[in-house]
Amino acid sequence: MSTPAKWEAVIGLEVHVQLLTQTKMFCGCTNHYGDAPTSHVCPVCLGLPGSLPVPNEEAIRLTLLTGLMLGCNLAPVARFDRKNYFYPDMPKNYQISQYDDPLCAGGLVPLDPFLFPKEIQDTAEAKAGRSIRLTRIHLEEDVAKSFHFEDRSGIDFNRAGTPLMEIVSEADLRTPGEAFSFLGSLRQVLLAGHVSHADMEKGQMRCDVNVSIRPIGQKEFGTKVELKNLNSTSGVRRALTYEIARQIAACEKGEAIAHETRRWDDQAGATFTMRTKEKAHDYRYFPDPDLLPVRTDQGLLEAARTRLPELPTVLQSRLIQAFGVTAYQASVLGADRVLCAYFEKAAAQAKSKATVANWILNDFLSTQPDPATTPILPEFFGELADLVADGTINSAQAKKVFAELMANPASPREIVKRLGLAQISDVSALGTYCDEAIAANPRSVEDYRAGKTNAINALKGFVMKKSQGKANPLQVDEILKAKLSA
Amino acid sequence: MSLAYETIATLRRRLLSKEIHPRDILKDLFTQIDAREKTLHAYTYLHRESALAAAEKADLSLPLGGIPIALKDNLNALGDPCTCASKILEGYKAPYDATAVSLLRQAGSILLGRTNMDEFAMGSSTENSALGLTRNPWDPTRIPGGSSGGSAAAVAGRIALAALGSDTGGSIRQPAALCGCVGLKPTYGRVSRYGLVAFASSLDQIGPLTRTVEDSALLLSVLAGHDPRDNTTDLRPPEKFLTQKNGSVQGLRVGLPKEYFLPGMDSETESAIRSAADWFKKNGATLVDVSLPHTPTAIAVYYILATAEASANLARFDGVRYGRRATDARDVLDLYHRTRSEGFGAEVKRRIILGTFVLSQGYADAYYRQAQKVRALLRQDFEKAFTQCDLLLTPTSPEPAFPLGERTQDPLKMYLADVFTISTNLAGNGAISLPCGFTKSNLPIGLQLIGPRFGEETILRGAHAFEQAHDFFQRLPPS
Amino acid sequence: MSAPQINISDVASLARLTLTPDETAKFSAQLSQILGHMETLSQIATGAVPEVTPPAQPALRQDIPTPSLSIEAALSNAPAQANDLILVPRILE
Ligand SMILES: [Zn+2]
Repeated sequence: MSTPAKWEAVIGLEVHVQLLTQTKMFCGCTNHYGDAPTSHVCPVCLGLPGSLPVPNEEAIRLTLLTGLMLGCNLAPVARFDRKNYFYPDMPKNYQISQYDDPLCAGGLVPLDPFLFPKEIQDTAEAKAGRSIRLTRIHLEEDVAKSFHFEDRSGIDFNRAGTPLMEIVSEADLRTPGEAFSFLGSLRQVLLAGHVSHADMEKGQMRCDVNVSIRPIGQKEFGTKVELKNLNSTSGVRRALTYEIARQIAACEKGEAIAHETRRWDDQAGATFTMRTKEKAHDYRYFPDPDLLPVRTDQGLLEAARTRLPELPTVLQSRLIQAFGVTAYQASVLGADRVLCAYFEKAAAQAKSKATVANWILNDFLSTQPDPATTPILPEFFGELADLVADGTINSAQAKKVFAELMANPASPREIVKRLGLAQISDVSALGTYCDEAIAANPRSVEDYRAGKTNAINALKGFVMKKSQGKANPLQVDEILKAKLSA
Repeated sequence: MSLAYETIATLRRRLLSKEIHPRDILKDLFTQIDAREKTLHAYTYLHRESALAAAEKADLSLPLGGIPIALKDNLNALGDPCTCASKILEGYKAPYDATAVSLLRQAGSILLGRTNMDEFAMGSSTENSALGLTRNPWDPTRIPGGSSGGSAAAVAGRIALAALGSDTGGSIRQPAALCGCVGLKPTYGRVSRYGLVAFASSLDQIGPLTRTVEDSALLLSVLAGHDPRDNTTDLRPPEKFLTQKNGSVQGLRVGLPKEYFLPGMDSETESAIRSAADWFKKNGATLVDVSLPHTPTAIAVYYILATAEASANLARFDGVRYGRRATDARDVLDLYHRTRSEGFGAEVKRRIILGTFVLSQGYADAYYRQAQKVRALLRQDFEKAFTQCDLLLTPTSPEPAFPLGERTQDPLKMYLADVFTISTNLAGNGAISLPCGFTKSNLPIGLQLIGPRFGEETILRGAHAFEQAHDFFQRLPPS
Repeated sequence: MSAPQINISDVASLARLTLTPDETAKFSAQLSQILGHMETLSQIATGAVPEVTPPAQPALRQDIPTPSLSIEAALSNAPAQANDLILVPRILE
């Protein structure tokens, strides 16, 4: 019996992304969710006889922008095709999509090591720094939403015809963790470009997975299984973990893997056969004669280029270099552009920029603030860090200042004054405290002099207590040592 | 004389001089309809009350103010049925106006009624209507042509002043030829298709059927122009057509494509077309022999591309959102099958199957893609020919109207009769058909003038000059 | 290349049509005749011909909302509806 370690998984993703447009892909109906059923429909998106599609230029620009951000080759001329199949959620019984000439081809998604699942961020898998190749990105229209009742189904056409961008990866992914990071890393790019909110749990990003296994070292792919009903990034990871184990177990028993579509049941934590793929769909793609080819080289591409944001990878390196933050902090800051802007403002004038990052990412973030609306000015964190750095307050006092800052926002300097917290760094005052400590703790003095250096802590504690925590601990340490060795 | 016999241009003059009122036109038309519609069955629907109400409020200052116009039953008009002569659209009422319809309304015209057609515009005889057949006003035992047979019969039978039709492979021009009226297929992209129920999207164009070329120009001036709702409409600014009518064809280069004059063609048709060509020559035009070498492939290319597009365009008729829905369906798949099998007629099914086949895996390269390539060659034929001439002169139909029922069992023969009209749809050019003679048995013969793309002005000028020099357009069918 | 034998029922099923035995027989004969005529195309040399028309910049739509139909108008043609949804028989996977 061989061990599972001799197998590797081969994974490809098809990601559908809802675009942040005002209107639908081919008509002027509002692109908005959660409104009364059938309230955003017109002859075009209801597929009424005689209606005609006209492409939304913003949807095309957003797709081109995505292509630019992911390093795709952008088509100078793109076409829309009809994909023919019957389904009640599709008003025309064909979907306008792109087949032969998509807007974007190729491209790469770099996997952010800190967007791997937390517990494996320290592994070689996460640190490998892989980039996943894309096959293509194309634009199409979404279908309506169906509700299933006992013996009938009801359809709400509000979603029908809304723009949907499909991003197809090469079968480059090898682990559930990589798939997890791929989705997270892709989302960061989409957020950076304001292309989509890309939240899987809200259906703004949807993902179909193709997975097969093969013995390590084998070039040929195994039989591919498609997974559906994946509603979160962690769901994708769990489904893949289950499915890979299922396939390995089957192969080791000598069973063949069926070419099929399986449904992930999150509750059961397992995948189940949905349909077998003996008969491939014949979609009869052909160019949509209602839509002329789209020239992207006459302004659309340039318009998209002017919107290029700072990409997550670029932003992260800049944060590390300019602010001395850790790679992990850079990833966290990169994932939230509003917080990142807040941090950059906070750290701009600060002497110890890395300390500012600690304050914001550890202490401030744990209070679940909204950096966009918080009354706490970012500059306050720069000030707080500086107060510690220049010895005005010690770290214990800084904690107090922070707590007060949250409760009654004001400049940390003000708070220090208000609470009378300024650290005592006056050598003669500290010397007096230290003399008192030595006089009151003869045993500790003896121990220290006998070589038990830890005994100095008791003396320090005495000084801190006497000074109500205001003594500068570093100076106290120096003075005590000098006095004891004298 | 009944106002139903007048042209739009004349009626507009008389309306503006207050000599007549729009209601007088409608009264005469309805008298005429009551007398003839029983025989002809040109209409699927008449707007008797609403038309009379509209006549009372007509704004005569508009270009078509007070003029009643009929619509082919595949154009959406708000609140009205739009059957496409199919059972599958039973009960459907349009919740919107086609762009062409709203342009007519804005120009002040009155909707008179909806005209019969081949189901989903698939046919050349109007025999494929689920709502009954239409008869030719010149001989009620014969077909009116199709698919805009109702529009042509209504105009020629003097029960409409003008009607809109749609032309995918000759569906305006061929019935106009067979009924003896004027039918114009504009250049692809000239008139918005928004609201026209699609048969083949890359070929369909809306156009007018009228008594005279002048009326045709009047309607085209209203209909033409870019529509933000139709991505395939041309961006050029609106034009007014035939504003100057000097009746001259002096210096015009008229091309005679040799592929359109074949041995064995109907001799009466051939001699009428030859005399028309002679007339152009006598009046100062030059006749040029030209060639459109890919003409023999046009029918095959057309029936591949048109049916392929139709197979997708007609997929939406499934009983889910509108129209007829089959009862007692077990599930959605069953609903689709039953609704579509019950709702579509034989010709529509035949074409959907053909179109599905030519797109299907393993066959799309040999059929659909090859046809697209040959279509490009056909288009090049026309571009080349128009470097040598200004207009092409051909017959519209290889023969006059044939008897009802003669070809219903032989679709290929029916398809082959579209030979002279189909190429212009494939190439996208505009073309007109106008009467140029009658057979010994008093059946109209149609002359086709084809222009370069967006050359409607040249087409209309040539056609108008020919028309005014003859009396064919004034002849009346037997009543 | 000679005209292929179409399996009419398979093709009809792709198009969601069910044909009667009569229709199947009739259409088979008619379609093979029509496809026979279409064979003329296979002899045309089309090597260098571009498949689709050369690109032009069409008028695209600006991303500005326009009025939708009222819910009532949108549902006015629906054969079956409830709670502003269009109803269909059970959807089977
Ligand atoms: Zn809409």
